[in-house]
Amino acid sequence: MSTFLYLTRRVLQAAAVILIVTVATFCLLHALPGGPARGILGPQATAQQIAQFNHEQSLDQSLPVQYFAYLGRLLHGDLGTSYTLNEPVAQLIQERLPKTLVLTVLSAGVGLLLAIPLGMWQAVRRNKPVDYVITTLSFVAYSTPVYFLGLMLVLVFSHILPWFPAQAPQGDTLAQVFADPAGLVLPVAAGAASVVAVFSRYMRGATLENLSEDYVRTARAGGSRRGAILRRHVFRNSLTPVVAMLGYYVPVLFGGALVVEQLFNYPGMGLLFWTAAQSSDYPVLLGCVLVISVATVVGTLAADVVQRFIDPRVKEGRA
Amino acid sequence: MTATDRTTTAGEPILRLEDLGVTFSSETGDVPAVRGVSLHVRPGETLALVGESGSGKSTVALASIGLLPDNARATGRALLGSTDVVGAAERDLASLRGRTVSMVFQEPATALDPLTRIGAQIAEVVRNHRRIAAKEADALAVDLLRRVGIPDPERRARAFPFELSGGQRQRVVIAMAIANDPGLLIADEPTTALDVTVQAEILDLLRRLAVESGTGVLLVTHNMGVVADFADRVAVMLQGRIVETGPVEDVLLRPEHEYTKRLLAAVPRLAVAPAAVPAAAKDGAAAGSQDRPEAGSQDGPRTGTEAGAESATPAPEVPLPRYAARARKANTDTAQGSAAGHEPVVDLRDVTVVYGRRIGAVRALDGVSLNVRPGETVGLVGESGSGKSTAARVALGLIRPTSGTVTLFGSDLRRTRARARRELRSGIGVVLQDPVASLDARMTVLECIAEPLRVHRRGMSAKERQEQVGALLERVRLPRSFAQRAPRELSGGQRQRVSLARALALEPKLLVADEPTSALDVSVQEAVLEVITELQDELGFACLFVSHDLAVVQHFAERVVVMRSGRIEEQGGTMDTLLHPGTDYTRRLLAAVPVPDPVLQRRRRAARLAATAGAAAGGAGATA
Repeated sequence: MSTFLYLTRRVLQAAAVILIVTVATFCLLHALPGGPARGILGPQATAQQIAQFNHEQSLDQSLPVQYFAYLGRLLHGDLGTSYTLNEPVAQLIQERLPKTLVLTVLSAGVGLLLAIPLGMWQAVRRNKPVDYVITTLSFVAYSTPVYFLGLMLVLVFSHILPWFPAQAPQGDTLAQVFADPAGLVLPVAAGAASVVAVFSRYMRGATLENLSEDYVRTARAGGSRRGAILRRHVFRNSLTPVVAMLGYYVPVLFGGALVVEQLFNYPGMGLLFWTAAQSSDYPVLLGCVLVISVATVVGTLAADVVQRFIDPRVKEGRA
Repeated sequence: MTATDRTTTAGEPILRLEDLGVTFSSETGDVPAVRGVSLHVRPGETLALVGESGSGKSTVALASIGLLPDNARATGRALLGSTDVVGAAERDLASLRGRTVSMVFQEPATALDPLTRIGAQIAEVVRNHRRIAAKEADALAVDLLRRVGIPDPERRARAFPFELSGGQRQRVVIAMAIANDPGLLIADEPTTALDVTVQAEILDLLRRLAVESGTGVLLVTHNMGVVADFADRVAVMLQGRIVETGPVEDVLLRPEHEYTKRLLAAVPRLAVAPAAVPAAAKDGAAAGSQDRPEAGSQDGPRTGTEAGAESATPAPEVPLPRYAARARKANTDTAQGSAAGHEPVVDLRDVTVVYGRRIGAVRALDGVSLNVRPGETVGLVGESGSGKSTAARVALGLIRPTSGTVTLFGSDLRRTRARARRELRSGIGVVLQDPVASLDARMTVLECIAEPLRVHRRGMSAKERQEQVGALLERVRLPRSFAQRAPRELSGGQRQRVSLARALALEPKLLVADEPTSALDVSVQEAVLEVITELQDELGFACLFVSHDLAVVQHFAERVVVMRSGRIEEQGGTMDTLLHPGTDYTRRLLAAVPVPDPVLQRRRRAARLAATAGAAAGGAGATA
């Protein structure tokens, strides 16, 4: 299949997935008891005030009508206005998203840069002390809640050892964020920990599997040394399943950001989502879910495209 | 160079094993795999290491190049030139591998890195041992591809392994192996995964390369035909030891050790008539004899096969295995014998199976008509991709044909309802190729065999079922006590018998056997085929026998159907069709089968080469 045809098909599929996600979230949100009026108008609000609020926000119309109205506005780039912050959702996301992207991309990048060599090292030193130590640390890192891990990081590397600030950079623009790289260290470390844990496991498994493949024996029979075999053959072959997993890991990264942003007081998407969820701020919640689902779909698509690039067989539909 | 010349070639051995032992350590203790093996290979000679699975032949090969798995420990000496591979450092071994010694493996499908272009993989071997520029190495890789007979090598060098056929991949592995003109080439079952015609081409290639550069070859194989075709000397292994060694003519024609005799007796031999040799044979044999002074003349025609080929007796006297009795009877009955009057148990009429649509559509079967009559055995032969397994699945009702009709036990499968169809299917038993994968590892033997009874004989009590399974086990010559075992505790041959017992549980009228013995050793194959034959006489079921092994089919089946790319090339009585084939394709297929007689095989090879040379001159280039 030609790459163009493939991409067209995948993008259409992605659009369909996102549409389904909006329907699902829309229905789920409106199924929540109470509704936003109570949260926004406070416990003292009369039934009449609530009815009026619902009427103003078109919340008294039937669900399909509301949904299609929302979809129509969405197509014009209008994500609605936050009930609580009185700002357009699109603008809120536009302010917050880049900061979250910085956090997640850095976490994923740093995490992978550590995880891939660690996983390969473990595979080569299988069942030796190094392997056991890294395996144990991975399980600890993976099973520790991000919240607790973040607190420990702050305690050790900010309070006991005053190396890094306990707060993330507070600036509103990306330039201000990058102006304070030391402030990013602990949030990124907290976010990267689970990436390292999970992906070093994947990489270890994939490498072990590839090391026992026949082609490794063929390369050895041709006089290639182990380092060269790892570099030239095993690395690329092991990377394909890991790349595929990365796409599916995007929502997990966003989930992690939710906690990390809270903890380090970093005003990104996570914090926005968190406050919106607490106050039933429907437009903001919908906008956030939309952004996360788009990111997930794009992440998976990107992973598939990268895989096509690495493995020629995928293109031919042979693998 | 002839075999006799080559063995007398003086020169220091390139490989010398002295009292080699290999022990595998496992959780249950140490397992000795190879004990006290001594042998040598001289430049330019081919030593074949033969034996059945588990005999340790591959372990010897791996020990010779220092590629034993981590849990293996070698003792004794394995001298490659002056270096002892046993105990050598990995670094020293790496500098020997690919230069002094190299290896060709069994499975071309997985032997190459799927993500690296084949040219780059060959160039890597070149650059492992020579300090040359990348460009130069790439050019050498293209040269090597040309040498191993890959057409359009400049373009193919940029191909990925998956874009090549099995035979071409094996050529690439061979190109890697000869990249630095090694003194010793180890070939571990190099043609086992390939079709016979491709096998013949790969063997020709290996032989040519070995002769051209005086490379010594250590050939590991279980196929006596390949040995006869290729080897100068033979070493026979049994349970980790060499039991007999000598020149190929001696070992194959006048075996001394009891085991060798038994092994050779179990090898199904293809009976060949003079007519099976292609038309160009005469000139071919003459041309061949110029560079091959008749080494066989001193032995004279000895075996029955040889006699059959020499004198023009219509039914050649080959040493027939016991399961072959029926085939001979059928041959005297002639193909249109007594069975012809009965209604067939399964009847495929003009069946076409198409996979996919439009441009991507593949015709897996194209106008196939065949039937199996009660009690008879029909052999379905052809190369991989010829559609023989697809045809068997259509007969089983597992694949619905795109067009054409399938009649099973007199009912048209398309006109029957699902329930009736299931009932019809209970009249068919199936035995598949892979003895490991075809039994559920989580079930006991009892559960495996009882499963069809549970499905189709609902009223049967557990006790009755158990009794029935016991009886079935006895039928396939296994002890009743096996019922409680797990499949993994059984050998391959035993598992195939369990599969057979399961297939016979519902007393089928038709047994479909898809390559039931191709994963088994010859002696085990013989035993399994014998059991099938005896039970067939006893129970009277018909058998559709799918196989790529023409020799087995020749003995086992009464009629044969030859398939090629989804079509039936020809069909008829087995002896008639395989001794006097009506089409060029069947003739080529037969000519490519190596027979386990070095003298006869040498003649057949010369004839075949002359025929292909003639065909190539006629414009039809043969590629693997």
